[in-house]
Amino acid sequence: MGKVKIKKKSTLIDMTAMSDVTVLLLTFFMLTSTFLQKEPVTVMTPSSVSEIKVPFTNCTTVLISPEGKVFLSVSGDADSTFSSEKVRAELIQTAVAEYNKTHSKQVQLTQEQVSKFSKLNMFGVRIADLPAFLDLPQAKQDEVIANLSDPAVGIPVDDNKDLTKPNEFQIWMRAIYNSSNPNLEAAIKKGEGIAIKADKDTPYNTVHDVLDNLQTLKMNKFSLLTALKTEND
Amino acid sequence: MAQIEQSDNGKKKKGAQKKMSIHVDFTPMVDMNMLLITFFMLCTTMIKSQTLQISLPSNEKVEQEQQNKAKESQAVTLILDTERDADGNVKFDPETGKPAHLIYYYFGKPEIADEDHDGRIDNSNLQVEKFVGNVNGETQGIRKILHDKNKTVLEKIAVLKADWKDKKISDDEYQARAKQIRNDSLITDRPVVIIKAGPNASWESLIGALDEMQINQISRYQIDNINDVDSLMIFDYLAKHPRN
Repeated sequence: MGKVKIKKKSTLIDMTAMSDVTVLLLTFFMLTSTFLQKEPVTVMTPSSVSEIKVPFTNCTTVLISPEGKVFLSVSGDADSTFSSEKVRAELIQTAVAEYNKTHSKQVQLTQEQVSKFSKLNMFGVRIADLPAFLDLPQAKQDEVIANLSDPAVGIPVDDNKDLTKPNEFQIWMRAIYNSSNPNLEAAIKKGEGIAIKADKDTPYNTVHDVLDNLQTLKMNKFSLLTALKTEND
Repeated sequence: MAQIEQSDNGKKKKGAQKKMSIHVDFTPMVDMNMLLITFFMLCTTMIKSQTLQISLPSNEKVEQEQQNKAKESQAVTLILDTERDADGNVKFDPETGKPAHLIYYYFGKPEIADEDHDGRIDNSNLQVEKFVGNVNGETQGIRKILHDKNKTVLEKIAVLKADWKDKKISDDEYQARAKQIRNDSLITDRPVVIIKAGPNASWESLIGALDEMQINQISRYQIDNINDVDSLMIFDYLAKHPRN
Protein backbone atom coordinates (compact mmCIF):
# COMPACT_ATOMS: atom_id res chain seq x y z
CA MET A 1 0.00 0.00 0.00
CA GLY A 2 1.50 3.19 -1.10
CA LYS A 3 0.81 6.09 1.10
CA VAL A 4 -0.95 8.98 -0.52
CA LYS A 5 1.35 11.84 -0.15
CA ILE A 6 -0.31 15.10 0.64
CA LYS A 7 1.82 17.91 -0.57
CA LYS A 8 2.26 20.53 2.04
CA LYS A 9 1.39 23.89 0.66
CA SER A 10 2.25 27.14 2.24
CA THR A 11 -0.79 29.22 3.07
CA LEU A 12 1.18 32.40 2.85
CA ILE A 13 -0.49 34.88 0.51
CA ASP A 14 1.63 37.48 -1.05
CA MET A 15 0.28 40.80 0.07
CA THR A 16 2.55 43.00 -1.99
CA ALA A 17 0.12 43.48 -4.82
CA MET A 18 -2.67 44.25 -2.39
CA SER A 19 -0.46 46.75 -0.67
CA ASP A 20 0.31 48.42 -3.99
CA VAL A 21 -3.36 48.85 -4.72
CA THR A 22 -4.21 50.22 -1.30
CA VAL A 23 -1.38 52.73 -1.45
CA LEU A 24 -2.64 53.91 -4.83
CA LEU A 25 -6.17 54.29 -3.50
CA LEU A 26 -4.88 56.09 -0.47
CA THR A 27 -2.93 58.53 -2.61
CA PHE A 28 -6.02 59.16 -4.71
CA PHE A 29 -8.20 59.94 -1.71
CA MET A 30 -5.55 62.09 -0.09
CA LEU A 31 -5.12 64.18 -3.19
CA THR A 32 -8.76 64.61 -4.13
CA SER A 33 -10.19 65.15 -0.68
CA THR A 34 -11.42 68.41 0.58
CA PHE A 35 -12.43 67.97 4.14
CA LEU A 36 -16.04 68.31 5.15
CA GLN A 37 -16.53 71.71 6.66
CA LYS A 38 -17.94 71.64 10.11
CA GLU A 39 -21.34 73.24 10.14
CA PRO A 40 -23.56 73.87 13.14
CA VAL A 41 -26.61 72.43 11.42
CA THR A 42 -26.87 69.86 8.71
CA VAL A 43 -29.03 71.04 5.86
CA MET A 44 -30.27 69.17 2.83
CA THR A 45 -30.08 71.50 -0.11
CA PRO A 46 -32.74 71.21 -2.81
CA SER A 47 -31.63 70.02 -6.22
CA SER A 48 -31.47 71.84 -9.53
CA VAL A 49 -30.19 71.23 -13.04
CA SER A 50 -27.68 74.06 -12.81
CA GLU A 51 -24.12 72.86 -13.27
CA ILE A 52 -22.19 75.87 -12.07
CA LYS A 53 -19.82 74.85 -9.28
CA VAL A 54 -19.26 76.73 -6.05
CA PRO A 55 -15.99 78.60 -5.98
CA PHE A 56 -13.57 77.62 -3.19
CA THR A 57 -12.10 81.05 -2.78
CA ASN A 58 -13.52 84.49 -2.10
CA CYS A 59 -16.90 83.18 -1.22
CA THR A 60 -19.23 83.98 1.63
CA THR A 61 -21.66 81.22 2.52
CA VAL A 62 -24.81 82.21 4.34
CA LEU A 63 -26.20 79.15 6.08
CA ILE A 64 -29.82 79.38 7.15
CA SER A 65 -31.06 76.74 9.55
CA PRO A 66 -34.72 75.67 9.37
CA GLU A 67 -35.32 77.65 12.58
CA GLY A 68 -34.13 80.82 10.87
CA LYS A 69 -30.72 81.04 12.53
CA VAL A 70 -28.09 82.54 10.27
CA PHE A 71 -24.44 81.55 10.15
CA LEU A 72 -21.69 82.99 8.00
CA SER A 73 -18.58 81.45 6.58
CA VAL A 74 -16.02 83.54 4.74
CA SER A 75 -13.17 82.23 2.65
CA GLY A 76 -10.41 84.40 1.27
CA ASP A 77 -8.03 84.09 -1.64
CA ALA A 78 -5.88 81.10 -2.42
CA ASP A 79 -3.04 83.59 -2.39
CA SER A 80 -1.45 84.17 1.01
CA THR A 81 -1.77 87.97 0.83
CA PHE A 82 -5.50 87.64 1.39
CA SER A 83 -5.73 84.20 2.93
CA SER A 84 -8.93 83.21 4.69
CA GLU A 85 -7.32 83.82 8.06
CA LYS A 86 -6.18 87.33 7.24
CA VAL A 87 -9.54 88.21 5.71
CA ARG A 88 -11.39 86.96 8.79
CA ALA A 89 -9.09 88.77 11.21
CA GLU A 90 -9.69 92.02 9.35
CA LEU A 91 -13.38 91.29 9.06
CA ILE A 92 -14.01 90.92 12.77
CA GLN A 93 -12.16 94.13 13.53
CA THR A 94 -14.15 96.15 11.00
CA ALA A 95 -17.40 94.60 12.11
CA VAL A 96 -16.79 95.27 15.78
CA ALA A 97 -15.72 98.86 15.07
CA GLU A 98 -18.88 99.36 13.05
CA TYR A 99 -20.97 97.79 15.82
CA ASN A 100 -19.44 100.08 18.44
CA LYS A 101 -20.47 103.13 16.42
CA THR A 102 -24.17 102.40 16.81
CA HIS A 103 -24.30 100.63 20.18
CA SER A 104 -23.72 102.11 23.59
CA LYS A 105 -22.37 98.82 24.97
CA GLN A 106 -18.86 98.68 23.52
CA VAL A 107 -17.23 95.43 22.50
CA GLN A 108 -13.48 95.07 22.88
CA LEU A 109 -11.45 92.20 21.50
CA THR A 110 -8.00 91.04 22.47
CA GLN A 111 -5.41 90.02 19.92
CA GLU A 112 -5.84 86.42 21.00
CA GLN A 113 -9.58 86.52 20.41
CA VAL A 114 -9.05 87.91 16.93
CA SER A 115 -6.63 85.15 16.03
CA LYS A 116 -9.02 82.57 17.43
CA PHE A 117 -11.81 84.00 15.29
CA SER A 118 -9.67 83.87 12.18
CA LYS A 119 -9.45 80.09 12.56
CA LEU A 120 -13.21 79.62 12.84
CA ASN A 121 -14.70 78.31 9.65
CA MET A 122 -18.28 79.24 10.39
CA PHE A 123 -19.53 81.68 12.96
CA GLY A 124 -22.91 82.69 14.20
CA VAL A 125 -23.19 84.49 17.52
CA ARG A 126 -24.25 88.00 18.38
CA ILE A 127 -21.42 90.51 18.31
CA ALA A 128 -22.05 91.37 21.96
CA ASP A 129 -21.43 87.74 22.90
CA LEU A 130 -18.37 87.31 20.68
CA PRO A 131 -15.57 87.93 23.21
CA ALA A 132 -17.01 85.48 25.73
CA PHE A 133 -17.67 82.95 22.98
CA LEU A 134 -14.15 83.18 21.60
CA ASP A 135 -12.64 82.58 25.04
CA LEU A 136 -14.32 79.19 25.27
CA PRO A 137 -12.36 76.10 24.25
CA GLN A 138 -13.24 74.58 20.90
CA ALA A 139 -15.44 71.77 22.23
CA LYS A 140 -17.49 74.21 24.30
CA GLN A 141 -17.92 76.53 21.30
CA ASP A 142 -19.43 73.70 19.29
CA GLU A 143 -21.77 72.94 22.14
CA VAL A 144 -22.95 76.55 22.35
CA ILE A 145 -23.48 76.84 18.61
CA ALA A 146 -25.37 73.54 18.46
CA ASN A 147 -28.00 74.82 20.85
CA LEU A 148 -30.24 76.48 18.30
CA SER A 149 -32.91 77.54 20.77
CA ASP A 150 -30.43 79.87 22.47
CA PRO A 151 -31.17 83.47 21.44
CA ALA A 152 -27.45 84.25 21.46
CA VAL A 153 -26.85 81.81 18.62
CA GLY A 154 -27.27 82.99 15.05
CA ILE A 155 -26.54 86.35 13.52
CA PRO A 156 -29.53 88.64 14.09
CA VAL A 157 -31.34 89.33 10.84
CA ASP A 158 -34.34 91.58 11.18
CA ASP A 159 -36.18 93.70 8.72
CA ASN A 160 -34.20 96.89 8.52
CA LYS A 161 -34.08 99.29 5.63
CA ASP A 162 -32.20 102.04 7.42
CA LEU A 163 -28.53 101.57 6.62
CA THR A 164 -27.41 104.24 9.04
CA LYS A 165 -28.42 101.81 11.78
CA PRO A 166 -27.49 98.48 10.24
CA ASN A 167 -28.42 95.21 11.89
CA GLU A 168 -25.67 92.74 12.64
CA PHE A 169 -26.07 90.78 9.43
CA GLN A 170 -25.76 94.00 7.46
CA ILE A 171 -22.67 94.95 9.48
CA TRP A 172 -20.99 91.67 8.62
CA MET A 173 -21.92 91.75 4.97
CA ARG A 174 -20.74 95.32 4.58
CA ALA A 175 -17.49 94.50 6.34
CA ILE A 176 -16.97 91.65 3.88
CA TYR A 177 -17.77 93.89 0.93
CA ASN A 178 -15.46 96.64 2.10
CA SER A 179 -12.60 94.37 3.07
CA SER A 180 -9.14 95.24 1.75
CA ASN A 181 -9.25 92.11 -0.39
CA PRO A 182 -10.52 93.48 -3.71
CA ASN A 183 -11.40 90.01 -4.99
CA LEU A 184 -14.19 89.61 -2.45
CA GLU A 185 -15.92 92.72 -3.71
CA ALA A 186 -15.42 91.67 -7.33
CA ALA A 187 -16.87 88.23 -6.60
CA ILE A 188 -19.92 89.73 -4.91
CA LYS A 189 -20.49 92.04 -7.88
CA LYS A 190 -20.25 89.10 -10.25
CA GLY A 191 -22.75 87.14 -8.21
CA GLU A 192 -20.33 84.42 -7.15
CA GLY A 193 -19.34 85.94 -3.87
CA ILE A 194 -22.44 85.15 -1.85
CA ALA A 195 -23.86 81.65 -1.66
CA ILE A 196 -27.05 80.97 0.21
CA LYS A 197 -27.50 77.55 1.70
CA ALA A 198 -30.82 76.59 3.19
CA ASP A 199 -32.66 73.39 3.90
CA LYS A 200 -35.19 72.33 1.30
CA ASP A 201 -38.07 72.35 3.78
CA THR A 202 -37.31 75.78 5.20
CA PRO A 203 -40.31 78.09 4.76
CA TYR A 204 -39.66 80.91 2.32
CA ASN A 205 -40.47 83.44 5.02
CA THR A 206 -37.30 82.54 6.87
CA VAL A 207 -35.07 82.82 3.85
CA HIS A 208 -36.85 85.95 2.74
CA ASP A 209 -35.41 87.94 5.66
CA VAL A 210 -31.91 87.23 4.44
CA LEU A 211 -32.76 87.96 0.79
CA ASP A 212 -34.42 91.19 1.81
CA ASN A 213 -31.41 92.31 3.81
CA LEU A 214 -29.13 91.58 0.88
CA GLN A 215 -31.40 93.61 -1.37
CA THR A 216 -31.26 96.50 1.06
CA LEU A 217 -27.48 96.27 0.92
CA LYS A 218 -27.74 96.40 -2.89
CA MET A 219 -26.11 92.99 -3.19
CA ASN A 220 -28.65 91.85 -5.71
CA LYS A 221 -26.70 89.08 -7.33
CA PHE A 222 -25.93 85.89 -5.51
CA SER A 223 -25.92 82.15 -5.86
CA LEU A 224 -28.11 79.55 -4.25
CA LEU A 225 -26.49 76.30 -3.24
CA THR A 226 -28.15 73.24 -4.72
CA ALA A 227 -27.46 69.60 -5.37
CA LEU A 228 -27.48 68.19 -8.87
CA LYS A 229 -30.40 66.47 -10.49
CA THR A 230 -31.36 65.56 -14.02
CA GLU A 231 -33.99 67.23 -16.11
CA ASN A 232 -36.35 64.28 -15.85
CA ASP A 233 -36.83 64.43 -12.10
CA MET B 1 7.43 39.28 -5.24
CA ALA B 2 8.15 40.24 -1.74
CA GLN B 3 11.04 37.93 -1.40
CA ILE B 4 14.46 38.58 -2.71
CA GLU B 5 16.11 35.48 -4.00
CA GLN B 6 19.74 35.41 -4.58
CA SER B 7 20.55 33.57 -7.70
CA ASP B 8 23.85 31.88 -8.00
CA ASN B 9 23.92 31.23 -11.71
CA GLY B 10 24.37 27.57 -11.10
CA LYS B 11 27.92 27.93 -9.91
CA LYS B 12 28.81 27.08 -6.41
CA LYS B 13 31.65 28.90 -4.84
CA LYS B 14 33.24 27.77 -1.75
CA GLY B 15 32.41 29.84 1.25
CA ALA B 16 29.48 31.41 -0.51
CA GLN B 17 26.85 32.86 1.77
CA LYS B 18 23.96 30.72 2.70
CA LYS B 19 21.00 31.20 0.39
CA MET B 20 18.38 33.16 2.17
CA SER B 21 14.95 34.06 1.07
CA ILE B 22 13.95 37.39 2.55
CA HIS B 23 10.22 37.37 2.88
CA VAL B 24 8.48 40.48 4.13
CA ASP B 25 4.97 40.09 5.36
CA PHE B 26 2.88 42.94 4.04
CA THR B 27 -0.32 42.11 5.86
CA PRO B 28 0.04 44.74 8.64
CA MET B 29 0.92 47.34 6.02
CA VAL B 30 -2.26 46.53 4.10
CA ASP B 31 -4.26 46.71 7.32
CA MET B 32 -2.92 50.12 8.07
CA ASN B 33 -3.53 51.37 4.53
CA MET B 34 -7.09 50.15 4.63
CA LEU B 35 -7.69 52.06 7.85
CA LEU B 36 -6.28 55.22 6.32
CA ILE B 37 -8.40 54.79 3.20
CA THR B 38 -11.50 54.34 5.31
CA PHE B 39 -10.65 57.52 7.18
CA PHE B 40 -10.17 59.56 4.04
CA MET B 41 -13.24 58.13 2.40
CA LEU B 42 -15.42 59.09 5.31
CA CYS B 43 -13.97 62.55 5.67
CA THR B 44 -14.14 63.72 2.08
CA THR B 45 -16.76 65.51 0.12
CA MET B 46 -16.50 64.23 -3.38
CA ILE B 47 -19.43 66.16 -4.75
CA LYS B 48 -19.08 69.87 -4.87
CA SER B 49 -22.36 71.69 -4.43
CA GLN B 50 -23.94 73.22 -7.46
CA THR B 51 -25.12 76.80 -7.52
CA LEU B 52 -27.96 78.61 -9.18
CA GLN B 53 -27.16 82.20 -9.88
CA ILE B 54 -29.93 84.71 -9.55
CA SER B 55 -30.21 88.43 -9.32
CA LEU B 56 -33.00 90.13 -7.50
CA PRO B 57 -34.44 93.44 -8.57
CA SER B 58 -33.17 96.30 -6.48
CA ASN B 59 -35.37 97.54 -3.68
CA GLU B 60 -35.97 100.90 -5.27
CA LYS B 61 -39.64 101.47 -5.93
CA VAL B 62 -39.38 103.29 -9.26
CA GLU B 63 -37.76 100.40 -11.00
CA GLN B 64 -40.31 97.96 -9.68
CA GLU B 65 -43.20 99.93 -11.11
CA GLN B 66 -41.55 99.96 -14.49
CA GLN B 67 -41.06 96.24 -14.33
CA ASN B 68 -44.68 95.66 -13.45
CA LYS B 69 -45.67 97.53 -16.57
CA ALA B 70 -43.63 95.10 -18.65
CA LYS B 71 -45.87 93.56 -21.25
CA GLU B 72 -48.84 92.25 -19.41
CA SER B 73 -49.89 90.04 -22.28
CA GLN B 74 -46.79 87.89 -21.85
CA ALA B 75 -46.71 87.92 -18.06
CA VAL B 76 -47.02 84.67 -16.16
CA THR B 77 -47.31 84.91 -12.41
CA LEU B 78 -46.43 81.88 -10.35
CA ILE B 79 -47.40 81.77 -6.70
CA LEU B 80 -45.70 79.01 -4.79
CA ASP B 81 -47.14 77.24 -1.82
CA THR B 82 -46.30 74.09 0.09
CA GLU B 83 -48.77 72.02 2.05
CA ARG B 84 -47.72 71.56 5.63
CA ASP B 85 -49.21 69.73 8.57
CA ALA B 86 -49.95 71.30 11.95
CA ASP B 87 -46.29 70.97 13.05
CA GLY B 88 -45.01 72.72 9.95
CA ASN B 89 -43.61 69.56 8.38
CA VAL B 90 -43.93 69.31 4.63
CA LYS B 91 -46.70 66.98 3.51
CA PHE B 92 -46.14 64.50 0.74
CA ASP B 93 -48.27 64.11 -2.32
CA PRO B 94 -49.99 60.70 -2.07
CA GLU B 95 -49.93 60.24 -5.86
CA THR B 96 -46.33 61.04 -6.70
CA GLY B 97 -44.66 60.62 -3.32
CA LYS B 98 -42.93 63.95 -3.82
CA PRO B 99 -43.25 66.89 -1.41
CA ALA B 100 -46.63 68.56 -1.88
CA HIS B 101 -45.71 71.80 -3.61
CA LEU B 102 -48.51 73.69 -5.31
CA ILE B 103 -48.04 76.31 -7.95
CA TYR B 104 -50.89 78.73 -8.47
CA TYR B 105 -50.50 80.61 -11.70
CA TYR B 106 -52.26 83.10 -13.90
CA PHE B 107 -51.52 84.77 -17.21
CA GLY B 108 -51.60 88.49 -17.66
CA LYS B 109 -53.46 90.59 -15.16
CA PRO B 110 -55.16 89.10 -12.12
CA GLU B 111 -58.96 88.93 -12.42
CA ILE B 112 -60.62 89.97 -9.21
CA ALA B 113 -63.87 91.50 -10.42
CA ASP B 114 -66.96 90.54 -8.40
CA GLU B 115 -69.87 91.96 -10.43
CA ASP B 116 -72.65 89.98 -8.76
CA HIS B 117 -71.41 90.75 -5.22
CA ASP B 118 -71.53 87.19 -3.97
CA GLY B 119 -68.13 87.49 -2.32
CA ARG B 120 -66.53 85.30 -4.96
CA ILE B 121 -64.45 86.36 -7.92
CA ASP B 122 -66.52 85.81 -11.06
CA ASN B 123 -63.94 84.69 -13.58
CA SER B 124 -60.82 83.98 -11.63
CA ASN B 125 -57.96 83.19 -13.98
CA LEU B 126 -56.04 81.47 -11.22
CA GLN B 127 -55.16 77.86 -11.87
CA VAL B 128 -53.09 75.33 -10.00
CA GLU B 129 -50.35 72.92 -11.09
CA LYS B 130 -47.61 70.79 -9.58
CA PHE B 131 -43.97 70.11 -10.24
CA VAL B 132 -44.08 66.87 -12.17
CA GLY B 133 -41.03 67.05 -14.38
CA ASN B 134 -40.90 64.91 -17.48
CA VAL B 135 -42.92 61.74 -17.85
CA ASN B 136 -41.77 59.49 -20.69
CA GLY B 137 -39.88 62.40 -22.20
CA GLU B 138 -42.98 64.59 -22.29
CA THR B 139 -43.17 67.77 -20.25
CA GLN B 140 -45.84 67.66 -17.58
CA GLY B 141 -47.41 69.89 -14.99
CA ILE B 142 -46.10 73.41 -14.63
CA ARG B 143 -43.25 72.61 -16.98
CA LYS B 144 -45.72 72.00 -19.80
CA ILE B 145 -47.42 75.35 -19.15
CA LEU B 146 -44.12 77.23 -19.27
CA HIS B 147 -42.88 75.15 -22.17
CA ASP B 148 -45.92 76.09 -24.24
CA LYS B 149 -45.47 79.74 -23.34
CA ASN B 150 -41.89 79.82 -24.54
CA LYS B 151 -42.31 77.62 -27.61
CA THR B 152 -40.57 79.79 -30.20
CA VAL B 153 -37.38 80.07 -28.17
CA LEU B 154 -37.36 76.39 -27.26
CA GLU B 155 -37.84 75.32 -30.87
CA LYS B 156 -34.91 77.45 -32.00
CA ILE B 157 -32.75 76.13 -29.19
CA ALA B 158 -33.72 72.55 -30.03
CA VAL B 159 -32.33 73.03 -33.54
CA LEU B 160 -29.16 74.44 -32.09
CA LYS B 161 -28.91 71.61 -29.60
CA ALA B 162 -29.11 69.05 -32.40
CA ASP B 163 -26.18 70.73 -34.14
CA TRP B 164 -24.27 70.76 -30.90
CA LYS B 165 -24.92 67.08 -30.28
CA ASP B 166 -23.69 66.26 -33.80
CA LYS B 167 -20.54 68.20 -32.92
CA LYS B 168 -21.17 70.73 -35.69
CA ILE B 169 -20.71 73.62 -33.28
CA SER B 170 -18.48 73.91 -30.25
CA ASP B 171 -19.58 74.08 -26.62
CA ASP B 172 -18.86 77.78 -26.30
CA GLU B 173 -20.61 78.60 -29.52
CA TYR B 174 -23.66 76.66 -28.40
CA GLN B 175 -23.80 78.51 -25.10
CA ALA B 176 -23.33 81.90 -26.75
CA ARG B 177 -25.96 81.29 -29.41
CA ALA B 178 -28.45 79.82 -26.96
CA LYS B 179 -28.04 82.92 -24.84
CA GLN B 180 -28.60 85.09 -27.86
CA ILE B 181 -31.83 83.27 -28.68
CA ARG B 182 -33.06 83.47 -25.08
CA ASN B 183 -32.59 87.21 -25.09
CA ASP B 184 -33.69 87.85 -28.66
CA SER B 185 -36.04 90.81 -28.52
CA LEU B 186 -37.38 90.00 -32.00
CA ILE B 187 -39.14 86.95 -30.58
CA THR B 188 -42.22 88.64 -29.30
CA ASP B 189 -43.86 85.80 -27.42
CA ARG B 190 -41.14 85.33 -24.82
CA PRO B 191 -42.86 85.20 -21.43
CA VAL B 192 -42.05 87.32 -18.41
CA VAL B 193 -42.36 85.17 -15.33
CA ILE B 194 -42.97 86.62 -11.92
CA ILE B 195 -42.28 84.16 -9.13
CA LYS B 196 -43.91 84.84 -5.80
CA ALA B 197 -43.49 82.61 -2.81
CA GLY B 198 -46.08 82.36 -0.09
CA PRO B 199 -44.96 82.33 3.55
CA ASN B 200 -45.29 78.55 3.77
CA ALA B 201 -43.64 77.79 0.47
CA SER B 202 -40.54 75.74 1.05
CA TRP B 203 -37.12 76.73 -0.20
CA GLU B 204 -37.21 73.66 -2.40
CA SER B 205 -40.23 74.91 -4.28
CA LEU B 206 -38.58 78.26 -4.98
CA ILE B 207 -35.46 76.55 -6.28
CA GLY B 208 -37.74 74.26 -8.26
CA ALA B 209 -39.43 77.24 -9.87
CA LEU B 210 -36.09 78.87 -10.70
CA ASP B 211 -35.01 75.56 -12.12
CA GLU B 212 -38.01 75.46 -14.44
CA MET B 213 -36.85 78.82 -15.81
CA GLN B 214 -33.51 77.27 -16.73
CA ILE B 215 -35.05 74.15 -18.20
CA ASN B 216 -37.52 76.15 -20.27
CA GLN B 217 -34.88 78.67 -21.34
CA ILE B 218 -36.82 81.61 -19.96
CA SER B 219 -34.56 84.62 -19.67
CA ARG B 220 -36.96 87.11 -18.14
CA TYR B 221 -38.09 86.26 -14.65
CA GLN B 222 -38.06 87.90 -11.28
CA ILE B 223 -38.79 87.04 -7.69
CA ASP B 224 -41.33 89.28 -6.10
CA ASN B 225 -43.16 89.55 -2.83
CA ILE B 226 -46.69 88.25 -2.54
CA ASN B 227 -49.31 91.00 -2.35
CA ASP B 228 -52.95 91.35 -1.25
CA VAL B 229 -54.38 90.60 -4.69
CA ASP B 230 -52.50 87.31 -4.81
CA SER B 231 -53.63 86.25 -1.36
CA LEU B 232 -57.19 87.20 -2.24
CA MET B 233 -57.10 85.06 -5.36
CA ILE B 234 -55.70 82.05 -3.51
CA PHE B 235 -58.28 82.48 -0.77
CA ASP B 236 -61.00 82.59 -3.39
CA TYR B 237 -59.59 79.56 -5.16
CA LEU B 238 -59.50 77.54 -1.95
CA ALA B 239 -63.08 78.56 -1.13
CA LYS B 240 -64.22 77.27 -4.53
CA HIS B 241 -62.09 74.13 -4.49
CA PRO B 242 -62.06 72.96 -0.90
CA ARG B 243 -59.24 70.54 -0.10
CA ASN B 244 -60.20 67.36 1.62
